[in-house]
Amino acid sequence: MTTRRFVVQPRGLAPLRVTLLVPLLSVLAALLVGALFLALTGNSPWSVYSKMVDTAFGSSRGVSETLISATPLILTGVAAAVAFKMLVWNIGGEGQLLFGAISAAGVGIWLGDGTPAALAMPAVILAGAAGGAVWASFAAVPRVYLGTNEIITTLMLNFIALNLMNYLVLGSFSPWRDPESTQFPQGRPIPEGARIPEFFNRLDYGIFVAVGVAILAWVLIVRTRWGFEVRVVGDSAEAARYSGIKVPRKILGVFLFSGAAAGLAGSLLVAGILGKMDPRSLDLGLGFTGIIVAALARLNPLAVIPVAVLMGALNNAGPALQSIGVPSATVRMLQGAILVFAVAGEFFIANRVVRPEKLVATTPATGDAAA
Amino acid sequence: MNDSVLILTIFAAIGLGTPLVFATVGEILTERSGVLNLGVQGMMLVGAVAGFWATFKTGNVFLGVIAAIVAGAAISLIHGFSSVTLRVSQIVSGLALTIFGTGLSEFIGRAGTPALVGSPSRATFSPILEGGIADWPIVGPLIFGHDVLVYLSWLVVAGASYYLFHTKLGLSLRAVGEDPASADAAGVNVTRYRYAHVVLGGALSGLGGAYFSLVLVPSWQDDLIGGAGWIAIALVIVASWRPWRALFAAYLFGAAGRVNFTLQTLEISAPSNLLAMIPFVLAIVAMLVLTSGKRARLLGAPAALGVPYAREQR
Repeated sequence: MTTRRFVVQPRGLAPLRVTLLVPLLSVLAALLVGALFLALTGNSPWSVYSKMVDTAFGSSRGVSETLISATPLILTGVAAAVAFKMLVWNIGGEGQLLFGAISAAGVGIWLGDGTPAALAMPAVILAGAAGGAVWASFAAVPRVYLGTNEIITTLMLNFIALNLMNYLVLGSFSPWRDPESTQFPQGRPIPEGARIPEFFNRLDYGIFVAVGVAILAWVLIVRTRWGFEVRVVGDSAEAARYSGIKVPRKILGVFLFSGAAAGLAGSLLVAGILGKMDPRSLDLGLGFTGIIVAALARLNPLAVIPVAVLMGALNNAGPALQSIGVPSATVRMLQGAILVFAVAGEFFIANRVVRPEKLVATTPATGDAAA
Repeated sequence: MNDSVLILTIFAAIGLGTPLVFATVGEILTERSGVLNLGVQGMMLVGAVAGFWATFKTGNVFLGVIAAIVAGAAISLIHGFSSVTLRVSQIVSGLALTIFGTGLSEFIGRAGTPALVGSPSRATFSPILEGGIADWPIVGPLIFGHDVLVYLSWLVVAGASYYLFHTKLGLSLRAVGEDPASADAAGVNVTRYRYAHVVLGGALSGLGGAYFSLVLVPSWQDDLIGGAGWIAIALVIVASWRPWRALFAAYLFGAAGRVNFTLQTLEISAPSNLLAMIPFVLAIVAMLVLTSGKRARLLGAPAALGVPYAREQR
């Protein structure tokens, strides 16, 4: 019998330093992999990375643009975090965001110029949340009442929402399309009164709505009875059922909350920075990036906020890379690599990898070789 | 309906269905080992860009196919390591692979000089038979009118079906997917089987992706394959994890994806954005019909699908 150099031992609750260190190391590892690919394609990783930091944080303008990019990611991150926490695999943040944008722009256009801002702005913003929840319900209701696999339905709904948005602006003369744009179809601007005011360069107050929702999600999950029951369902649906928790209703609630958060991301874009439903500016994969945010934040809605700022910084820096001859897709690759490492990092949060002599005797030892 | 329109429709369905056949059969083999890999979309995109790159560099389309297979297999190892060795959530790991693969393919497509985006295709596959029996009515184009990869896809289906249901290795594979603890006790190396079939799935996904960049389009652009990788994952369920059913399901979805083409030949105009929704709507309907309620159990999903296997936790 050979002596193993390392053994893997499951641990209960990981110490805080581990749960903080693992996501940080995930980002570092992704940057290293990115550097490798950049070097392979004849670019200097150092100049690319310093250009990114400079673009994202090097000026007040850069910081405000980073926060603009972070705003929808906070919400799609919360959407993924609360759903995944309960093992509800809502991969449809993308579609819910888009349908939220469609709903928000629709309400804004329908209300028209005459409506006072005090009414128009909340109406447009809430329409996005409602739209996101409605779009999520198309997958949530079958999941809860029929047991339909939600991974596939939410995914397919992404493509349907994307095509619907493109149809409304690019493929038809719907009310969503600006009637004055004939050659290059554009979204019809929503009334000025419904727009969220800016306060720091182009950054608008929408970011506080996003942060507020993240805090609300944290309070709901950590501090309320409802949240406690949600966590129980997430840990074991069986146990939840036996203890009298109405599991279907919990799943439906979380699913719709998740959809509403993603939809809100859409309406904050429409009422904020975009001012209209602009297909080109909305089809950026913000829903999928939200999954990266949630994973790196380890499904904690509060941690979603700083992680969304990091991802927003990357999104903001992407286009600037083209000025030094590096594709903006570098950012998408980096974000993907961050997720890959964050996912693998969960292993080190769930397990200790130790030398055999350091095994803690109180827990049953598991002799799986890791090296 | 005019005969020739019907034939053109079926022919187009086989064309768009072929990458789905490769990817779906690949994912069937992976899932039969008990591993769910949601990274199909990412593996297909990496295969597509790798295939186009190699063909662009060498002018040899067969080298392109080999590059796509190798690239798909290589990147699938990420999921193999996370899900089999580290035993983290297979769902999140697969999503990570898709997101990384998508970003990586976009990076590769734009990082070189000249960039692959916008570069012309240097070689493609043509139908292997011209004239002769390929000109026979009906069966000519439908059976004999294809390029070599279509025939390869039929071989893959037949081979995968034979492997799964008529070989000892296939029996062991199914045992690993149904009850890994028993398979382990019977001396089957669960880890090795799972790795092997994750990689096999990656290779076939890469090949499916290359069918877009080398035959269907043929060129490279961001997100070249639309949602084909996601459709393939739905098709595994539609095909109830059986390769022959996957072939016909893939052609059905191929036809659904080509409705615009069919309507064009019939000179009917319809909004292309709405037509583009059809395969995705069809997939949702299929999920509602197939995975709802008690019917889900009759589908025959591998019992251990998505469940990490740790020997100690028996």
